[in-house]
Amino acid sequence: MTQITLNDGGRQAAGAGRRFSLLRNVPLWLSVLIVTLLFVVPVIRLFYMSFVEEGGMSLAHYRSLLSESGTWTMFLNTLIVTAGSTALSLVLGVTTAWLAAYTDIRLKKALQVLILLPFIIPSYIVTIAWTQLASDVPFADINLYSMGGIVFVLGITHYPLVHLFTANVLRRIPKEQEWAARAGGGGRLTVMRRVTLPLALPGIVGGAMIAFLSNLDNFGIPAFLGIPANITVLSTAIYQEVIGFGPGAFSRAAALSVILAIVALAGTLFQWLLLRKSATDGTAAPDTEPRVRLGKNRPFVEAVLWLFVLGTGIVPLLSMLKTSVIRAYGLPFVPDNLTLDHYRYVLFDYGKSFDAIGNSLKLAVAASLICLVFGTAIAYFRTRRPGGALRYIELSVGLPYALPGIVLGLAMIFAWMEPLPGWNPGIYGTAWILLIAYVTRFMVLQIRGSMTAMSQVSPDMEEAARISGAGALQKWRKILLPLLSGGILSGALLVLLTSLTELTVSSLLWSSGSETIGIIIFNFEQAGYTTHSTAYSAVVLVLMGAIAGLAYLLLRIWKRRVNTP
Amino acid sequence: MKTELAGIRKTFGETDALNGINLEIGEGEFVAIVGPSGCGKTTLLRLIAGFETPSAGEIRMGGHTVAGPDHATPPEKRDLGMVFQSFALWPHMTVSEQVAFPLRHHRFIDPALKRDAAGRVRQMLSMVGLAQYGSRMPSELSGGQKQRVAIARALAPNPSLLLMDEPLSSLDARLRLELRNEIQTIHRQTGTSIVYVTHDQDEALAMADRIVVMNGGKIEQAGTPEEIYSRPDTPFVATFIGKANLIPGDWRDGRFHPFGSTEVAWAVPDVAPVFRDTGLCPLRPEQLAFGTGEGIRGTVRNVLYQGREIHYTIDVGQQTVDLVTGLAGRLSAGDPVVLQYRPIPVGSSPAINEMEYR
Repeated sequence: MTQITLNDGGRQAAGAGRRFSLLRNVPLWLSVLIVTLLFVVPVIRLFYMSFVEEGGMSLAHYRSLLSESGTWTMFLNTLIVTAGSTALSLVLGVTTAWLAAYTDIRLKKALQVLILLPFIIPSYIVTIAWTQLASDVPFADINLYSMGGIVFVLGITHYPLVHLFTANVLRRIPKEQEWAARAGGGGRLTVMRRVTLPLALPGIVGGAMIAFLSNLDNFGIPAFLGIPANITVLSTAIYQEVIGFGPGAFSRAAALSVILAIVALAGTLFQWLLLRKSATDGTAAPDTEPRVRLGKNRPFVEAVLWLFVLGTGIVPLLSMLKTSVIRAYGLPFVPDNLTLDHYRYVLFDYGKSFDAIGNSLKLAVAASLICLVFGTAIAYFRTRRPGGALRYIELSVGLPYALPGIVLGLAMIFAWMEPLPGWNPGIYGTAWILLIAYVTRFMVLQIRGSMTAMSQVSPDMEEAARISGAGALQKWRKILLPLLSGGILSGALLVLLTSLTELTVSSLLWSSGSETIGIIIFNFEQAGYTTHSTAYSAVVLVLMGAIAGLAYLLLRIWKRRVNTP
Repeated sequence: MKTELAGIRKTFGETDALNGINLEIGEGEFVAIVGPSGCGKTTLLRLIAGFETPSAGEIRMGGHTVAGPDHATPPEKRDLGMVFQSFALWPHMTVSEQVAFPLRHHRFIDPALKRDAAGRVRQMLSMVGLAQYGSRMPSELSGGQKQRVAIARALAPNPSLLLMDEPLSSLDARLRLELRNEIQTIHRQTGTSIVYVTHDQDEALAMADRIVVMNGGKIEQAGTPEEIYSRPDTPFVATFIGKANLIPGDWRDGRFHPFGSTEVAWAVPDVAPVFRDTGLCPLRPEQLAFGTGEGIRGTVRNVLYQGREIHYTIDVGQQTVDLVTGLAGRLSAGDPVVLQYRPIPVGSSPAINEMEYR
């Protein structure tokens, strides 16, 4: 094994064992190779496939796609949907962030949870909930199966991202900088325009970019709302190409994927540049003191805000619950029409849906365990032994997550159907491809979680442990694990919950017998079994809540145990 | 412009941050507010600025009431400037833009200054010695330069009152001394009234016309630096400003018998009644000396060499006493000593010389 030296790179180690350095670095180069094969090659292969035509390489797929008017309608739809939903996310996110970060409204913690709710719940369940609410609204005839509907639900689902980014930046603006402007004669509006807004801009734009990427990436919402209405966007277009099995379907899908991937990667790059620029002066500690007292208006503002967060976070879910206990879709909500039959059906009568919970649980647990071990190892070496190779590993592992899910799904098909020409290991078409895809896609979440935890434990603490005589085992058991466990486990929990309800990648990779939770709901919804999909969604939400609650409890018990000897 | 505070109280929930403050800041006066952290000095400054509203009492500026119970004129409508401990420079504006900001927005500015804003910016920057730095961004400045920009920015509209909130405490020791001189010079040149909040008694003693010592939300004592230093009214002022020893003993016939001694009697002048009534005598370290013969017996505990002088701590029974001497006759820990009172005439040079002592 390579020896780990802290802090000053491996300077002494390099001096002592230069002769062996080639040999010593074998594990490192091996890791680089494996990471390249698993995370980078599939993406390259996807690019390659988009040019392949019988008999050689050509731009034929691109040419034929771009000559069809349907493609251009789909591009236009994508543009309208992502731009519209991003604008909505931006308005909602910035407004709620300002209220939460700056004003003296009460119960901010509870509000925060409710604001995050539409983002935490899988977007296809949010969609089902909203469609139920839309049908419950009297007087007005609201059709969510439309461009406007897609924009609205996407905007509601992703405004929490803008909220988080903006609130974080707002809290870090030193209030003295605003006070200095007021002491210099600037009124509230001047201060807002000349100081607060320019300083918050990196956060606002960063949040908007994340929302834009999520809106572009999202498959569940345009699939549930757009496919029935014949509205196609890039992500659903790729899906329809693949399952349509038309002539050259895979290559056409690959060409569309390349277009989508380039837009997404350009967005990610822009966002990264922006955040890197703003991170240099973002050293101020967050300040949670209210800066604006709303005075007499406070109850009014609070009421509007609560109405909004309850209306977007809870009320649609209630509507969904209501549908799930109605005997038949469309009947009035009176005691005679209530039944738990749909729950019985999805849990016991229809075997596949119950099995899907098992499948998803197994896949999610396996994926999060694999990510836990390897992600934490990569994070450890990345923080403690920086260098080009580890930077490359981190970037490569981040690539599948930066790509839209549907693009990764297609890349996984190409990569694992025939990993080597003429060799089909039989992974595609089983649950294994799902596990591989989840690990490939979500590994970076664990790395980030573990890296955050590790960056908060300074190397000094390890050094102090070693000076005090602790060996490697003692150091990990007594010092590092207790300090890191919270961050590492919350990273693992994120991987677990995200894999559990994954839909986008699964929609291309599932096969009969390996249905997942997302697939079951998708299939119910496509078949029009609304009462079943609502009941099943409710079961899934309970399951997610139980897992999160259990994890929280375990984490507390674990913390208490390691903190008190 | 005269600033008057009458019966100011400020409560945050259950706690009293300020408890009945009466203070007048005269035209052109330099008032330093000194106290330990949590004494209410920063709250007081924020009230004067208009960032807080008093719970009771009234603030008047130039004869106009600017704040009363539950109402306050916002800062941008008061004729003032402010300098912050953290400099509070705007990271997205150049040095010139920072200084030009109040020239554009300040409500009480002389129209002539506003018309020639560019000239005023140049004038202010050369006043603080940064004439060449107009196009720099704050991130390209050192700490001392940042605070100079902040001062130039606060003074650019020529406000009637300048508020300074611990402006030097995030700078290193050498820069602090340098900027003390500069602030004093600027005060002389501009004639602006200054309220200067600090926890550093040296800063207050060095610069202010008048010092207000605060503790626990109240004013303990207000007076000239000499009064505060030499004739403290309360044990808190004596220990906080002069680092005085509070020596227990008996007052008989105007003379102090330290540690209940019958033979030793010290004639200490100008001791406030509160000390006499409680059987204490405030003696600053330079008011004690080693001697021979009659005196208080003690043992040297620590010897701290300071270059210009030596600081001793002496055990006297269960008490420790601090003492400062010159470099001659250095003692070692454990040496037996005899303590004597060293009279220093008020306002005479030794007291002033020793003022730098911390």
